Amino acid sequence: MWQYVLRRSGQAFVVILLVTFITFLLLHNLPGGAARSALGLDATQAQIDAYNVQMGYDQPFLVQYAMYLGRLFSGDLGFSFQQNQPVVDLIVQRLPKTMVLSFLAAVVALLIAIPLGVVQATRRGQWPDYLVTSVALLAYATPLFFLGMLLIVLFSQTIPLLPPQAPQGFSVLDILADWPGLILPVVTLAIVTLAAYTRYVRSTMIDNLQENYIRTARAKGMSEGRVVIRHALRNSLFPVISLLGMYIPALFSGALVVEQLFNYPGMGLMFWQATQTRDFPILLATTTIVAIATVVGSLLADIAYAVADPRVRLSGGSE
Amino acid sequence: MSTPVHNTAGPLLSISDLHVTIPQRRGEVTPLRGVNLTLRQGRTLGIVGESGSGKTMTALALMGLLPANGRISRGSIEFDGVDLVSATPKQARRRRGTDLGMIFQDPMTSLNPTMQIGDQIGEGLIVHQRLGRKEARRRAIEILERVGMPRPDRIAADYPHQLSGGMRQRAMIAMALVNHPKLLIADEPTTALDVTTQRQILDLIEDIKEEYDSAAILVTHDLGVVAGRADEVAVMYAGRVVEHAPARELFENPQHQYTRALLAALPERASGSDRLYAIPGMPPSLKEEIAGCPFAPRCHRAQDDCRTGTIAFEDHGAGHRVACLHPGGEEHLGQLSVPAAAAEKQVLAAQSEAPAPETGAAEDVPASAEVVLDVDGISKNYPALGGSVIRRRIGTVSAVNDVTFSVREGETFGLVGESGCGKSTLGRVIAALEQPSEGVIHLDGTDIEGGKGRNSKAVHRSVQLMFQDSAAAMDPRMRVDEILTEPLDIQGVGTAKDRARRVEELIDDVGLAQDSLERYPHEFSGGQLQRIGLARSLALDPRVVVCDEPVSALDVSVQAQVLNQMKDIQAEHRLAYVFISHDLSVVRYMSDRIGVMYLGTMVEQGPAEEVSARPRHPYTRVLIDAVPTVEPDDERERLLVEGELPSAMDPPSGCRFRTRCPFAQEICATAPPVVEMGAEEGEHQVACHFPLPEDGTLPTRVGAAR
Repeated sequence: MWQYVLRRSGQAFVVILLVTFITFLLLHNLPGGAARSALGLDATQAQIDAYNVQMGYDQPFLVQYAMYLGRLFSGDLGFSFQQNQPVVDLIVQRLPKTMVLSFLAAVVALLIAIPLGVVQATRRGQWPDYLVTSVALLAYATPLFFLGMLLIVLFSQTIPLLPPQAPQGFSVLDILADWPGLILPVVTLAIVTLAAYTRYVRSTMIDNLQENYIRTARAKGMSEGRVVIRHALRNSLFPVISLLGMYIPALFSGALVVEQLFNYPGMGLMFWQATQTRDFPILLATTTIVAIATVVGSLLADIAYAVADPRVRLSGGSE
Repeated sequence: MSTPVHNTAGPLLSISDLHVTIPQRRGEVTPLRGVNLTLRQGRTLGIVGESGSGKTMTALALMGLLPANGRISRGSIEFDGVDLVSATPKQARRRRGTDLGMIFQDPMTSLNPTMQIGDQIGEGLIVHQRLGRKEARRRAIEILERVGMPRPDRIAADYPHQLSGGMRQRAMIAMALVNHPKLLIADEPTTALDVTTQRQILDLIEDIKEEYDSAAILVTHDLGVVAGRADEVAVMYAGRVVEHAPARELFENPQHQYTRALLAALPERASGSDRLYAIPGMPPSLKEEIAGCPFAPRCHRAQDDCRTGTIAFEDHGAGHRVACLHPGGEEHLGQLSVPAAAAEKQVLAAQSEAPAPETGAAEDVPASAEVVLDVDGISKNYPALGGSVIRRRIGTVSAVNDVTFSVREGETFGLVGESGCGKSTLGRVIAALEQPSEGVIHLDGTDIEGGKGRNSKAVHRSVQLMFQDSAAAMDPRMRVDEILTEPLDIQGVGTAKDRARRVEELIDDVGLAQDSLERYPHEFSGGQLQRIGLARSLALDPRVVVCDEPVSALDVSVQAQVLNQMKDIQAEHRLAYVFISHDLSVVRYMSDRIGVMYLGTMVEQGPAEEVSARPRHPYTRVLIDAVPTVEPDDERERLLVEGELPSAMDPPSGCRFRTRCPFAQEICATAPPVVEMGAEEGEHQVACHFPLPEDGTLPTRVGAAR
């Protein structure tokens, strides 16, 4: 087991290195160069040259990359001239908020998707199956910003039940304390993955329900509910674990829209604002972090899968 | 007939006129069409039939486990005085796993892969006896011990993939036993297992049945399995029981023409020069009404009265019931194959213009015939990978070890052994799909260089493969003509017109109609697909065809059709076959010479009749003795082994069979045995330090024989 974790971690590390290389390549090839974007259009050539020497941009590419890596691993993600703050400070402040939002959304999505998928699989080809499939596809096809606005209109204008704006607290605790404001953003974001999860749970459940061991379980005289939950659902959830890891990018891109829509002070909103003002250090740092989060997320999902599934766990995860 | 113990009470189980229908998108299927069965307590009933005969469906109806939408449309099932057809779902559920225990076919897929064995067994106790988890686990361990598991406490905490096939089936049996069933239903309990393991499992089921004084139903396609085990046998065809008799009576005096045909189709009773009786045609569709006897269209004795009305299931005395208007016959079963074979030829000839050769047998290969394939000292090793961060080689799996044999023109060399013995790997090496680690293969005197050398294209042309599962070995999106043309295209044979003509010839050769060419693989039955597979392997006029378990997935009657076809084609084209199978009787029937493999080594080889009649290697003897036969008076002394195949990663030193051999001595562990006896090419050779005596007796120091 430990061998497996070690090997997968090693692989993940290599992927992360590749990701940083690609992001750096992008940074290196910015039109006008980093100096132009930092100093503005009015800067003279002399100023630019001086800036490049100061930042080490006159060095060969690989040397610069090594320096960049060094800074990255010591936690220096650059400096946002527009916010006049180190990027890392901004991220430390905002990343937890986005994580809270995404985590809650993922949990809500799973809590709804699993029962729905089970109902669909056990009532396959009957009206509950068709109904859920249609609603899921409709939700999946609706643009997120539209859905969010729809929810705002419905639940804070027509029926003034919930605040239209997300909590604005400075710390995560402040935000959680103001939980009614979280409901609409979390639900909106949950819908991004809900449809896909439901389809997935439905199809793995259908596969598992056709397995021979389900017939064996029935032959033991167990109630149908016990057969479905103890045997079919248990085995259907293992692949869902790895799906969770793969959905991190989807959650982030969803957060981008949702945070902007509900004015939620997370990474997504910061990224959105940075694109508006061409704040390159923030854009690149965010891209790097999301990439790392994706790699680490799928690594954790794989490890969780291996821990949960005895077939992988006991074979030392060799396959 | 022996006096039954529980004669006072009525039968434990009585099924009469049972019909099951399953509605489908279009119309409905009726897999059971009037099943009649009775079974008394303490007895074993064998239900035999080919796929689609309804034998498994009968078991499922009994368990209340019919597939979705399936329902009992007519008839009754009375079990232990209770009517099962009118039982509520809850009542049926209570009876499952308590009074009725079922053992399924494939223990790998029939066990939950992510649940500990002990939990899966204990579940039945938790559900029906409301035991706590701990108590259930304790009882599960007791039962595991009863079914002969070594270290049951440890196995209870294992998952199915950690056990071998035989152990999984033991766990499955334990599961069916937890609540002491009155009736144990075993659906093909040993089909997925090797013969030596099969014997152990069947013995276990028999023991358990005796101990619990339960009745048992043994559902199987293998007539040999029921012959030695069942008290009574019911033969099913197209959803009906066509014959039901005490086992001995059934095999000595079969009455229904289908039963007779089935027995005549077994290669076990045929000698190599006989043609097998291949039942012509195919079983009827279960979607339509069948008037009269369902077997009539394929029966050589069918008269006009067979095709109308209902055929009564009549008692012919001594508990022998038959649903046949013209039962029995003067001809002995062995002789039945002669006229019937002719009838089959007529059917085939009507389908195509292919001239059927007079005798299909290739037993008279003159000693002067040229050696086509010469396998010399072939070994095949695979690296075993492991290690923590970086994968590295941690050992070597010795799949094939120093195998030597040769095949002459027009000859069949049979390779037989249990799963994991390396026979398929050897087949792939011969077909130049894999490079041997050591040794040389000569084809017509030329080194094939593992198919990598200058003449690789010619090698692939001359050695072709035929697979077990042709459905999986064909691209489902290609039409049959494309499948057959592809090898010709790759080798650039002739013009497009030549190829089209060649493909027409091929489909003709294997006895299929020309319009088959326009169809897709899924439109064919298993037997037809094997013929197409054979046609594809013949496309390039090869010298050698390596047939890897070509009939293992087929029913007996269809198997006979394919085997006959293969013999005909061999005789016509002077082909050399390397015939790989786990089924000794098929190999013996097909082959001129046999090689027996164990854990990568060739332990014995020689003329087919010689090796199977007078095996000299203990393993060959074990293999032969483990195969159940349909002879009721089969009381010969048997050599049995316990345990299972060791790992090929660290094969035992010296003789690889020594860890399971009852005759092993010290020298067997230190020196690998050299080939003894006939040093001449093609003579009987055995690689053993202590070969068995020629007269077939077993030496006295038999440790493991019972």
